[in-house]
Amino acid sequence: MNYAALWIPGFAAAAAARDLDPRGRDPVRAGSADLGAEVEAQRMLAAAAFALSPRVEITAPDCCTVDLQGADPARAEAEMRRQARELPRLGLPVRIGAGDTPLLARYAARRAEPVLIVRESAEFLRDLPLDFAEPDAAQRGILLAWGIRTLGELAALPKSGVGERLGPAGAALWDRAHGESPRVLRLTEPARTFGAAWNYEPPVESIEPLLFKLRRYAERVALELRSAGWVAEALALTLLLEDETDYRREFRLAEPGADVASWLRVMQTHLETVRLAERVAGVRLVATPARPGQSQEGLFDTSLVDPAAFWENLARLAALVGEGRVGTPSWVDSHAPDAFVLEEPAAAVPPAEAAPLHPPRGGVLRRFRPAWPVRVICEGGQPMALSGALQGDIRARAGPRVLEGDWWRPREQWAVETWEVELATGGLYQLSRDSAGWWIEGTLD
Amino acid sequence: MSDPIAFAAMRSLLAARPSRPPRSGGAIATGVAGIDAALGGGLPRGRVTELISAAAGSGGELVFASLLAGTRQARMRVALVDAADGFAPKSFRPDLLRHLLWVRARSLAEAMACADVLVRDGNYGVLVLDVRGIPARALRQQPNGIWHRLRLAAEQHPAAVLVQSSAAVVRSAPWRLVLREPAALAALRRPRAERAAALAPELERGQGGGIEARMA
Repeated sequence: MNYAALWIPGFAAAAAARDLDPRGRDPVRAGSADLGAEVEAQRMLAAAAFALSPRVEITAPDCCTVDLQGADPARAEAEMRRQARELPRLGLPVRIGAGDTPLLARYAARRAEPVLIVRESAEFLRDLPLDFAEPDAAQRGILLAWGIRTLGELAALPKSGVGERLGPAGAALWDRAHGESPRVLRLTEPARTFGAAWNYEPPVESIEPLLFKLRRYAERVALELRSAGWVAEALALTLLLEDETDYRREFRLAEPGADVASWLRVMQTHLETVRLAERVAGVRLVATPARPGQSQEGLFDTSLVDPAAFWENLARLAALVGEGRVGTPSWVDSHAPDAFVLEEPAAAVPPAEAAPLHPPRGGVLRRFRPAWPVRVICEGGQPMALSGALQGDIRARAGPRVLEGDWWRPREQWAVETWEVELATGGLYQLSRDSAGWWIEGTLD
Repeated sequence: MSDPIAFAAMRSLLAARPSRPPRSGGAIATGVAGIDAALGGGLPRGRVTELISAAAGSGGELVFASLLAGTRQARMRVALVDAADGFAPKSFRPDLLRHLLWVRARSLAEAMACADVLVRDGNYGVLVLDVRGIPARALRQQPNGIWHRLRLAAEQHPAAVLVQSSAAVVRSAPWRLVLREPAALAALRRPRAERAAALAPELERGQGGGIEARMA
């Protein structure tokens, strides 16, 4: 399960339906031209996708693809199911599919009710109708004439044969019947600002249409905030009046949050007391974002600002680079030159120890892993020149420093001598020599 | 269908809003006087700074050591995404590592994906993405959009982002400094702090003045 797709069936109709006042008293079309309806629906879909992962592609107006690589599968699945429950409550029916490739995820979304995770690709594709792979009319006609009606039947044909008869487009169709291979997503950016603006045509004079649209747009803004890990600490509401003046009001939220009901309570209470001389032609709503719990900074400033994100991201990183390759480095009880372990980071950073009595000296090594083999020309037991991975005369040298360990274990004993060298052409390096030969261990600063 | 005029109106309305969420402003001192002075106080939060170590031994790792020491005193978390897996823990006192998260990537693509996650985390004061040791060709093959994405993400979060490289790779970095001259071997006998204080980076991109003035 490397990718997820979020898909809105009947996108245009669903978007428009969400934008109609169900009470029918004032069919508030999204201002000028439904900039609202479809763009809003798409932004909601994208916001829901960002709740799954920061790596999101807007594949089509009705579909977002999410790169789940590195995510905890159980947690990703739980989040998909939560979004599948949440979006319909906000007026947007959504289907979510997951699979090993972006295309498989999209196929799964089209079959989902409302969530479908494909674990066995071949089995899933076998009975899918041919139309899932979107053949053109000519291809469809030919394939039906061959008796091919499912992706499984098409995939069972040899690709070369399909390519010979239907051309490159046929070969591409065959690939789609196999669910294609993973591809690089064209990533989009999460919302950078949190707000909405819309117009009324004609302008409105009662509070109901105002509140209806306010709820719709606020729901999207809140979803974007939550997906980005923010809450709102203030809301700025601007009513654009028919005479081109405006009425502005900022609401400081007693408790920062992303709960639309509490936002609306605050705004409605105020709007009900407002009397305007002109009708409202447009509205602008802007949320001022804040980190949850940010107000406690300073008191607990060495603890985690966002513990959930911290531990979740650690798990994601471990999945990306592999277990044991992410953590806080710590020395181990060994003199071996590159001995360390990676530990789980502390929940709170402890106070620093007192500065050492003697300030640290010596080079700071940046390692080559693995070390580079090199040939060293020596005179009088001292390295004088290098050839191989690095070449040049050695202008200055310091060493050797001999390290050895585990000498009491015949099979595990080791010994190495290290040198610090400066090349005539410039550059500081650490060399080492062991029983296998000479190595460049890294650069020194 | 969307009305282009309405779309333009919406854009202008959106443009009138704050350009980014509020974040902790200011800078995080690296402890290297030459760098902090060039940047007007240190690594700017919410921004990408590129530090180029043009030669082996020119001081990039010394800067990181100094940054680790300063942030350790402040008990500020540091994340290191190490694209070439070159960090050497034994070069540092154990206590200087206790606030560090080290990600040992196996490829540049992995490193970029990890940086993308960490820059949005919100728990780190500094994110260091070290691409030294990655072949220049691999770096050139990265779509420029990846760095742009990192910059945009950085602008939304409070961490300072430092990209350590061997040659300029972050075209969109607002600040770029270059350490050109490799040190002499004899210099390694001097205390690290003294050597760090003597580093003289060239400011290749960025203007003089304080951070806040330049952000305005």
